[in-house]
Amino acid sequence: MPDTRTRLRAPVLLIGLLVLVAVLVSAVLAGASDLGWQRVLAEMWAQVTGGQSPLSAREAAIVWQLRVPRVLLAAIVGAALAVSGATFQGVFRNPLADPYLLGAAAGAGMAATLVVVLAPAVTGWMVGPLPLAAFAGAIGGVGLSWLVGRSAGSGTNTLLLAGVAVASFLTAIQTFAQQLNTQTIRQVYTWMLGGLNVSGWREVALAVPYVSVAAVVLCLSARLLDVLTLGDAEAASLGLRPGRIRLVVLAAASLATAAAVSVSGLIGFVGIVVPHVVRMLAGASYRVVIPLSLVGGAAFLVLADQLARTIMPGELPLGVVTAFTGAPFFAWILRSSRRRVS
Amino acid sequence: MFRRFAPVLAALLVLTACATRPSEDPAAAPETDGAFPVTVAAPGAPAVTLERKPERIVSLSPSATETLYALGAGPQVVAVDSASTYPEQAPKTALSGLSPDPEAIAAYRPDLVVVYADDSGLADTLATTGTATLVMPDARTLDDAFAQFAALGTATGHQAEGESLARQAKDDIDKIVADTPKRQLSYYWEVDQTLYSTTSATFVGQLLSRFGLTNIADGDDPSASGGYPQLSAERILQANPDLIFLADTKCCGQDASTVAARPGWSTLTAVQAGHVVSLDDDIASRWSPRVVELTRAVSDAIAKSGA
Amino acid sequence: MTALSLHSVRSGYGDEPVVHGVSAEVPTGGWLAIVGPNGAGKSTVLKTVAGLLRAQGEVRIDGRARLSRKDLSRIVGYAPQDPELPAGLTVTDYVLLGRTPHLGLLARESRHDLSIVDEVLERLDLSALAGRRMDMLSGGERQRAVLARVLAQRASLLLLDEPTTGLDLGHAQALLELIDRLRHEDGITVVSTLHDLTFAAQYADQVLLLDGGRAVAAGTPAEVLTAEALAAHYGATAEVSTTGRGELAVLPTRPDGPEGVSRRTGPSSAVPEN
Repeated sequence: MPDTRTRLRAPVLLIGLLVLVAVLVSAVLAGASDLGWQRVLAEMWAQVTGGQSPLSAREAAIVWQLRVPRVLLAAIVGAALAVSGATFQGVFRNPLADPYLLGAAAGAGMAATLVVVLAPAVTGWMVGPLPLAAFAGAIGGVGLSWLVGRSAGSGTNTLLLAGVAVASFLTAIQTFAQQLNTQTIRQVYTWMLGGLNVSGWREVALAVPYVSVAAVVLCLSARLLDVLTLGDAEAASLGLRPGRIRLVVLAAASLATAAAVSVSGLIGFVGIVVPHVVRMLAGASYRVVIPLSLVGGAAFLVLADQLARTIMPGELPLGVVTAFTGAPFFAWILRSSRRRVS
Repeated sequence: MFRRFAPVLAALLVLTACATRPSEDPAAAPETDGAFPVTVAAPGAPAVTLERKPERIVSLSPSATETLYALGAGPQVVAVDSASTYPEQAPKTALSGLSPDPEAIAAYRPDLVVVYADDSGLADTLATTGTATLVMPDARTLDDAFAQFAALGTATGHQAEGESLARQAKDDIDKIVADTPKRQLSYYWEVDQTLYSTTSATFVGQLLSRFGLTNIADGDDPSASGGYPQLSAERILQANPDLIFLADTKCCGQDASTVAARPGWSTLTAVQAGHVVSLDDDIASRWSPRVVELTRAVSDAIAKSGA
Repeated sequence: MTALSLHSVRSGYGDEPVVHGVSAEVPTGGWLAIVGPNGAGKSTVLKTVAGLLRAQGEVRIDGRARLSRKDLSRIVGYAPQDPELPAGLTVTDYVLLGRTPHLGLLARESRHDLSIVDEVLERLDLSALAGRRMDMLSGGERQRAVLARVLAQRASLLLLDEPTTGLDLGHAQALLELIDRLRHEDGITVVSTLHDLTFAAQYADQVLLLDGGRAVAAGTPAEVLTAEALAAHYGATAEVSTTGRGELAVLPTRPDGPEGVSRRTGPSSAVPEN
């Protein structure tokens, strides 16, 4: 009997990984400065083979201190947001769910604003309190939503409403704090638009542990997410504890989101669109959607960041680029899938 | 602060009360020195007519505050906004220059309010309480700034001081520029640590152009992004500017050591040679008479770079 | 052997009990149909047996009370009235979910699980649809898929809440015949709520009539489904008769018109006074 179940087949994964690697390499070869991709390629080859570097110290710094970590960070953040969005969509059984649903964005925004407003000189520290505050704020926002939701009931709907309530509350605090020091509006706004232009190996080291742990947990939980889509009653009748699974899975996804937000600000669109595109191209079971969202999200954001930093002499905010490039692509996929069905 | 000036203020108030008639009297003799009424306008702003010398000025523009005190109009100032940090004796309040609150402003019973922009119809609102609003917008060029010194002087009854201030500042700057060795140097001007910069199409950029300096943020079109583009570290590293000016020392704690610690920045010649100049944020962003100090700081940096 | 035994079971959602003191016994391989007017608590009883609601009183399955969630999931298969059908999954994926009780938390399905799914699909005539997406199935196919998932669990007690919802007469009949055949082949016990009283009468060994959360009648279909009971608890007028083949049928009849005169013309169609 032919295998009719949906699962992650090796060829699909391989193609995805190859695309990702190609995207990563091309992103490192291109940049705001015109180093020339041949020279960059020669430099990378020299590092691998231990040969003589063709670049000056400054140019090598551009490649190894700026471009490579920035590209890697884009991949990590993209993967984190996409897999987190997929998870939220699965838990809430809602195709419009995104990683910021339970107050992660509001919490991070509030924390970042408080840091910028109350201690602006401190935002220049090298061991940035801004990323730490954003991380703590994101986790705090989700935690608060969880507590409020649990006190009101145990279903996904109460959790969702709690998230909305908590997000509104935290945003109100943020707006109030902003009024205390209106000189810093531009700084906060820049952060909220999302961007990777001040990123180096330090930010990569900040984000990697959390995103890796979350990715592993979510990949292992993919099958359970499929069962959760049956609803709490049936999942329970199949021997699972839906509440507990939700807690673990949402905690992992929120960890990934918080790590992403802490190093890149609020980048939207990736968390909603990438899982849908994966579903349309490869199937709707979370066994496929979770791992491929990691790969797809990484590739998408690396490409978007490449666009953001090369298309204009200045930097475009990354959130704007993701929306501009993601929306039409999504519409095209929708149209072609509708044609296939009819 | 208030205590020192209260007797002076009281004396002035008594003087003006004696000197002015009720506004219903059509034959009211204006001011004793005959300079009022005057009509003043800053370049690019609407003209305002002041009937008499203002004695209760509220300044919501940090640049205007500095200029007012430099003109000797300090005693006429009753309140300044929260961002007016210089001079120290200015009566700082919680008023906001970014989003002015007419009611809060009216509580100080001003007869003149100075702002740097009026997009919300503040002038009309304040006019209903008999208060004039003078807009002193962001100066585009040095000449704009000088014209503002003169205008503020005239508006506050210090016309002679205003004109002399403008003339003196222009002469000082011209002299500093002339005395500075001309070198073909490039520079990067940092507005904040997320690498926002200014191009040569801005007020500051124009000042630096007089020294013959090239701005690395200009690119093909200096007026892109309104003159305030956000650069990437990569672009800065590639351009390898000869001079780095930090205008974010107070707001964001940046200085030569924090810049050197940024990934890859230690390879810049400006960092290695110690040509990273820390500027006072306020001096670097305002268009008050202290622009002369800014010019001097730039000149010193250029002179040092050759040494 | 008694597969299911309920004794004075009281349960509900939150503080208000919906079901008060219901008792019943179902032997292994039997079929209990729970009937009653809307809101009588039929679904609540099923959910209670499935362990989804906290209950007072005693629920024994295969003679054991207070089973763990894990054990319960291996014995009891529950299909709710409105099952969520994940749109993008194939029929095979969906039925495979039924193997969850037999897998560890992080385990993958084995060849054994896959062969069980194949076999179940075969029995329910779904093999041709194995690769079809769940949202592309007809009503009858969907109900069969749900049944397949429950069977893949290898449950010995099936709790089916309105399994014939949305099915036309032919498909409903086919499904019920299938269930009946399965229970005879595998010795599965079936407890179902059924809307259609004739179907309940024809397929169930026992009927439990609930009204307002209480069991008002229990026994064979003939004992429970009487015109009086229907009038009293459903507020409906009906005639219970036997078909030519000896099966019970519940036939709704139109209530009397004004002044007790039958709506139809002619004395031969007058409703007999009871």
